[in-house]
Amino acid sequence: MADEASLILLVDDDFDFLEMNRHVLESKGYRVLCASDPDEALAKMGSDTPAVVITDLMMKTLDSGFLFSRRLKEDRRFKDIPVIIVTAVGSRCGFDFRPRTQEELQAMCADAYFAKPVTPEKLLEKVEELLMRRGREGAT
Amino acid sequence: MNAEACRIMVVDDEFGIREGCRKILVSEGYEVETAEDGAAGLELFKTRGGFAAALVDLKMPRMGGMELVEQIQKHDEDVVTLVITAYATIDTAVEATKRGAYGYIPKPFTPDELLLPVRKGLEKRALSIETKRLREEREKRLLEVAFERSKSNTIINCMADGVLVINREKQLVLRNVAAARVIPGCADAPLPASLDGVVDSAELRTLLAETLAAESRPLIAAKEIGLGKCTYMVNASPVIDPNGDILGAVAVLRDITALKRLEVAKSMFVSMVAHEIKNPLAAIEGYLNVILSGVAGEDPQRDRSMMRRALVRAATLRTMVSELMNLTAMETGHFTLKRSPLDIGTVVALVVDSYKERAQEKEIELSVACNGTVEQVLADKDAMICTFTNLIDNAVKYTPEKGHVGVRVHHDGIYVTVSVRDDGIGMTPDERDRAFDEFFRAKNEYTARIPGTGLGLSLVKRLVEMHQGKIALRTAPGQGSEFVVSLPTAG
Repeated sequence: MADEASLILLVDDDFDFLEMNRHVLESKGYRVLCASDPDEALAKMGSDTPAVVITDLMMKTLDSGFLFSRRLKEDRRFKDIPVIIVTAVGSRCGFDFRPRTQEELQAMCADAYFAKPVTPEKLLEKVEELLMRRGREGAT
Repeated sequence: MNAEACRIMVVDDEFGIREGCRKILVSEGYEVETAEDGAAGLELFKTRGGFAAALVDLKMPRMGGMELVEQIQKHDEDVVTLVITAYATIDTAVEATKRGAYGYIPKPFTPDELLLPVRKGLEKRALSIETKRLREEREKRLLEVAFERSKSNTIINCMADGVLVINREKQLVLRNVAAARVIPGCADAPLPASLDGVVDSAELRTLLAETLAAESRPLIAAKEIGLGKCTYMVNASPVIDPNGDILGAVAVLRDITALKRLEVAKSMFVSMVAHEIKNPLAAIEGYLNVILSGVAGEDPQRDRSMMRRALVRAATLRTMVSELMNLTAMETGHFTLKRSPLDIGTVVALVVDSYKERAQEKEIELSVACNGTVEQVLADKDAMICTFTNLIDNAVKYTPEKGHVGVRVHHDGIYVTVSVRDDGIGMTPDERDRAFDEFFRAKNEYTARIPGTGLGLSLVKRLVEMHQGKIALRTAPGQGSEFVVSLPTAG
């Protein structure tokens, strides 16, 4: 179990993806904020700062997710928030964005990358791993 | 020539010669008729006709032999005329032949001396008639060939497919109008022209060269070749003479651009359908996995909520499949309308009624207005229910809580018009343009959680058009949408 009531931000235009993961994350005690695109996410966040951001890549535009993760990393308030990119862009459009190295992952301003479909268990695992890592780094 | 069929005329003023000739000739099987002078001979020739030969005395009263020969020749140049003369001189012979006589027989003569030139003359006549027949036949054939050639040229030039013919030296020797259009290089080139000089497409040149070099016959090569912006199916085959030698090659170019486009559209549609089916299935599978694995804990309320959502997706999927089946049936012409006089106002009221509850849940004011007397429309009831269900369902779905949906039925004697108007989210101009496309769904914060197949409106449009009606859409973002269906009245 992570810190009490860490906020997880889920951004995806697939309502069922949001629902499914919201249920799983909420069942583990996280607070979950769902948004169908980055603008809505930023608006809903208000002054609340998420502990982890899970975002889709292709929403309103092909690179909505990239622009969002960069925007977070470039913002002083959000730059330390781990970002997980989850996308079906590979199977849907044939683009291969999958990062091969840590450098490539960093270049897309992300801390983890999943190709859809990904099970909520896998995402949960990654969320907890990132939170633990962050906790350790915070402690040192 | 059969001797029996030969009729010979003997013209002589001496009875003895006449009868002597008759006896000799008849004994040989000829048919003989006689006349006693030139004038009587000509008369006989004209009235009886059909003489193959004429034996004519030179010196006769009324009309001499020379003149008679001339007259006979005028009528029928194939008649063998022989002059019988007591004055057998070279001069007479020359004169007689000049006038058209075949020869002369000097008096007195033995039967053989008479028969020999007659036989020879008749043989020559037969030969000349045959030659003439052959010549006429040949001329007729030539005419036919010329006609055939111009006919085939006309046909080849009228063909929609391009035709190219090359000889063994790889020179273009024929191209029709369509080919000249497809391959501008060969349009004005004087023929024969080197293939390399007039055909840009290396693919086409190679295909023709390969056809010329064909080892196994018959060889017909078919290949898709892109020329300019179009795609052509090129069929090339060698031109083979009766000895089996390849004289050249002929290529027929058929424009299959439209077919290719259709092929692409079809596979795009199939891939779209696959995606649209995969998404709800993936969602259903996802929910079931979460519930069954227990990863979201054992909260029955949570499970129910996910199951409800899975059910919504399953229902959408089922609707989509039946809508797809309807659309496919329309495409293949297996969708038939059972049209009967229908009161559209009643149908609309029925559909509106069935949405009352849903509207109440969202506190949407759903109203229906119908003006005056009812005009009937010749329509399929199920198709009309499907049409207005889709429109009213959309209006209720895409209108936020506490909104308004107004349905109006109006008629002007020519059309019955049904307007379904909401004050919901509306559409951008781009969304409006694509609203009737298969699988198009406006994607935004609001629509994301609303289930839909993206097929409803394209189905509605087709159904309305099948009833000779039209559908219009007026919409703007934030200002709601209005769909107006106009159907011609039964009267």
